[in-house]
Amino acid sequence: MTQAAAPPKKPISPRSIVGWVVLALILVFFTVFAVIPAWDILAAVMPTVIVQGLILGFVIAIIALGYTMVYGVLQLINFAHSEVFATGAVVGFEAFTILQNSPINAYLKLFIALLSAMTVCGLLNMLIERVAYRPLRGASNKLVPLISAIGVSFLLQDLLRLFEEVNRKLFNLSYNLPPEFTQSVTVGSVSVQSKEIMLVVVAIVMLIALNYLVNFTKLGKAIRAVAQDRQTAGLMGINANQMIQLTFLIGGALGGVAGVLYGMQYGTVNAYVGILPGIKSFTAAVLGGIGSIPGAVLGGLVLGLLEQFIGSVLSLVGSVLPADNPLKFLEAIKAEYKDIGAFIVLIIILIFKPAGLLGRATTEKV
Amino acid sequence: MAPITSAKPTTTKLVLEVSALRKTFGGLVAVNDVTLEVPRSSIVSVIGPNGAGKTTFFNMITGIYSPDGGSINLDGKNLVGMRPDQVTHEGIARTFQNIRLFRAMTVGENLLVGRHARLKAGYWDALLHTKKFHKDEAEGREAAQILLEFVGLGRKSGELAGNLPYGDQRRLEIARALATNPKVVLLDEPTAGMNPNETEAAKALIRRIRDELGVTVVLIEHDMRLVMTLSEYITVLDYGTKIAEGSPKEVRNNPRVIEAYLGRGAAAGEYGKEG
Amino acid sequence: MTAAKPPLSSPLRPPPRGSSTPQATILLIVYALVTSGLLLWVVSSGILDNLGNFRSLTISLSFAAFLTTLFFAYRWNAHPVVKILVAAVVLLVVLPIAGVANSSLLGLGLQIGIFAALALGLNIVVGLAGLLDLGYVAFFATGAYIWAIYGSPQLGKILGNPALEASKGLPGGYFWLFLFLGIAVAALVGVLIGLPVLRLRGDYLAIVTLGLGEVIRVLANNLTPLTNGPIGIVDIQRPPTGLIDGIRSGFNLSTSQFGLLFLYVVVLVVIGVIIVVNIRLENSRIGRAWIAIREDEIAAQAMGVPLVRSKIIAFATGASFAGVMGVIYSAVQTSITPESFTFFASIGVLSMVILGGMGSIPGVILGAAVVTLLNLDFLAALSEALSSLGLPNELDPAKYQRFFFGLILLLMMIFRPEGLMPTTRRKLELHLDDAPNDPDGSASGDHGSGDIGTFGKSEPSSLETTGRISNPVPSSTQNRSGGN
Repeated sequence: MTQAAAPPKKPISPRSIVGWVVLALILVFFTVFAVIPAWDILAAVMPTVIVQGLILGFVIAIIALGYTMVYGVLQLINFAHSEVFATGAVVGFEAFTILQNSPINAYLKLFIALLSAMTVCGLLNMLIERVAYRPLRGASNKLVPLISAIGVSFLLQDLLRLFEEVNRKLFNLSYNLPPEFTQSVTVGSVSVQSKEIMLVVVAIVMLIALNYLVNFTKLGKAIRAVAQDRQTAGLMGINANQMIQLTFLIGGALGGVAGVLYGMQYGTVNAYVGILPGIKSFTAAVLGGIGSIPGAVLGGLVLGLLEQFIGSVLSLVGSVLPADNPLKFLEAIKAEYKDIGAFIVLIIILIFKPAGLLGRATTEKV
Repeated sequence: MAPITSAKPTTTKLVLEVSALRKTFGGLVAVNDVTLEVPRSSIVSVIGPNGAGKTTFFNMITGIYSPDGGSINLDGKNLVGMRPDQVTHEGIARTFQNIRLFRAMTVGENLLVGRHARLKAGYWDALLHTKKFHKDEAEGREAAQILLEFVGLGRKSGELAGNLPYGDQRRLEIARALATNPKVVLLDEPTAGMNPNETEAAKALIRRIRDELGVTVVLIEHDMRLVMTLSEYITVLDYGTKIAEGSPKEVRNNPRVIEAYLGRGAAAGEYGKEG
Repeated sequence: MTAAKPPLSSPLRPPPRGSSTPQATILLIVYALVTSGLLLWVVSSGILDNLGNFRSLTISLSFAAFLTTLFFAYRWNAHPVVKILVAAVVLLVVLPIAGVANSSLLGLGLQIGIFAALALGLNIVVGLAGLLDLGYVAFFATGAYIWAIYGSPQLGKILGNPALEASKGLPGGYFWLFLFLGIAVAALVGVLIGLPVLRLRGDYLAIVTLGLGEVIRVLANNLTPLTNGPIGIVDIQRPPTGLIDGIRSGFNLSTSQFGLLFLYVVVLVVIGVIIVVNIRLENSRIGRAWIAIREDEIAAQAMGVPLVRSKIIAFATGASFAGVMGVIYSAVQTSITPESFTFFASIGVLSMVILGGMGSIPGVILGAAVVTLLNLDFLAALSEALSSLGLPNELDPAKYQRFFFGLILLLMMIFRPEGLMPTTRRKLELHLDDAPNDPDGSASGDHGSGDIGTFGKSEPSSLETTGRISNPVPSSTQNRSGGN
């Protein structure tokens, strides 16, 4: 009889009960003191917040997928992924700029931009794996490949900057989008730009394609095999190195797509644009359970919504509360706090669920 | 050396009492209500085919897994729920099926880590180099040296653990476990990979652990000769359940045991003739 | 029973040598004289004015050459008394003199000292206990802000007390008290952070500590009533040197110069204490526990080592070093902003530890010197020199700090992961096993330099971690990290 693949299910621990109770209490408190008094303004603002949150969430989710897939096969945080994302943003800028005056269809331009970014970034990621990670694959100390990843990340930041400064004598690159993309469309009570709709469409298409690839193709099965058990996969005739390179290719391509989408959405990019989204996306991947593809998507969406919420809603709510309301301090929450909101949530989640929301608790065989 | 008896240990005081221990992983019951009674200063074995749940059983006793049911009593004290380091403090030590030495530390340092639970000087003593610290360190080194000589590694204390030949590594693991001053030591396949000479030496060492140190030994083993000639009492697991227990003679003639190892329909075969 | 003392090797003291050689002693003395002489001549003679854009580069190179004296004092087989004398003269005589002649050198020396102490602190966390802390700078910030708030007008601003504002906070003598407070508070923060966080696995720990570092920085940037936000706190006091003012006037130094010199000596003393603490802890029960945890957590636990508790102690100890240095940093800079405490700074300290050699005391000090010189001095000097050669602005080296950082980290990990001055233990750890041939990467990777082991120890693989019955490469157990 073989061991079942499912991980040990622990009985519900007291810590987890405390966690749920505290969470419930916080939600009740918040509802009573903030949601109800500020209902009107909340109702007005929430739809936009949710839409913008989802948009950001999709971008983060796609970046997070790159982190999570690489982690799945190599148990390595690919720190350089943030720079692959930045490269995608720069490639997108170049594509749109070069095609700026050409008469071809706007959506075709987007397609070209995405394809170029996917290609360049996929290849870049593969190169990184070959040069910086594969030589270190046998290291007995886990810190070694991680530090190498950090090194590559810093290296690429400046290389990217060099490229654009030499090429265009610019640091900040503003996307030159075709006018079709900036048209406003009203959906329900929210007004969105057509580029935002495009973003979501592209993101969802990517996710569907990835899901198909990973779960319904032979290649996908091979990747999953290597992620679960590299040695045995090798014994089954799978060339692990090739599968790992394929994973990096896919992860890089996703990063490239995310870069273009980000540039489209937020307008301006530069060589260092990857740093903060990279950290947030990795946080999202961990939040959802590192190594889990649905987890990365869930984590990304949750983080996007959370960030919008903290950045836009909290201080707004605080400002309309009466002075004697205990939650009045919310007014003082400045926008910068949204960047660390993710971490705080991550820490809290990891305290109660050390493997992340959808992660599997792993046991080492002793 | 006391002769190995085959009497079932009932009247002697039990140092370790494990009752109805149970562990389920997802849908699989790895250990199914297993009871083990270990008398003080004895050598008992837990055997069974691969996958029978023996190491999981050990892991629960030492606190690495928490049992889903049952109790573990060491000299009357309940160990369930304790962390592994707490269990070691209480007096259960172990070796590992796959050697887990601190390979980049020297032999001596490995033993000193083993001594961690029994050394008394703390953080501030170390910082300030108090008298207590010096005395503690000296005592630790002395104990380490004694134990190394006990297992036959007396002259290798400066060598790197990772550089030792395989047999020495096994012995070092045992010495390190003994450094924790245990009441009971759990040896998980201590002679795996050993040739007959090394196995005999290991056997002698295990006996000396019981006779000279008074430490109780619980053994997981696959080498049937070793098990039959060394153990006072044997418990047999199969698919997580205890299928037999008793003296070596009783166990080796037990049809269920033979079936578990050799399959239904097998003749009494080799094991029946072992001395 | 024989109480024979087993020869347990201590990897950080250079192993007891045979006898020192007179050649090495003389060589050391000569080298020290030459480099010190060169440095003093460069800073005090007028030659620099003739060098134009190469001025900074010349100073840089002479200073670096001068500092290598300390390196060789450590490694060469010279007479121990001479070694100590040379080090003392270099640090306590020549450097101060050069620093007075050229204040940027004194500042540089101070920065190297401060970061060396930080690196020693992180060395305990990462190098000994194996905990990847990417937010170490948070403890540094804690110490810095404590003194900055209490020892500057900020205190008066917070309390609404104009008198306190005018007096620039508490009397300057409180600095000494705050040195200890810095230790205590940083250690406390370390414990508080460690309690929930240190039970997480390696990679999770890394990202969480990174996050916490950022949280501290953002808090410092936004809690303006307390920390004065992005502008930072200015006018921070230095400890008063009234009692030894005689020395100051004797040497005809300005108050500011003397204050800086004084702090320089304080830094050296603190580093000395930190080194002693490091050595004592490493060769004790807790130090061995840390190394055991780093090697194999499960085995360590089985030996009775309490995991979370030991990790928290490592964390708190490392934090306390950063805390005390933070207090000193505030006084040296006399003004701080949240921008000094970024993720980049944490990675900077980490790269010092990696470059020098994890777990190796002389190594991380060397790493600190190299990285600090590179970042704060050499790149800028190089860029100044190259600019006169018509180098296009885009290729200005000073703008490429990250590039060089990254390159150092990458190259070190590929070619010499044990660092420049590794401990014996670390070298063996990283090169312990043989490399089997593995063409498709399914075993563990086709690495050239021979380090192969199973990739990662505690991973979600259902494979048993195999007890290695390999024949390890017989790297000599007598391998010395320091001798020659």
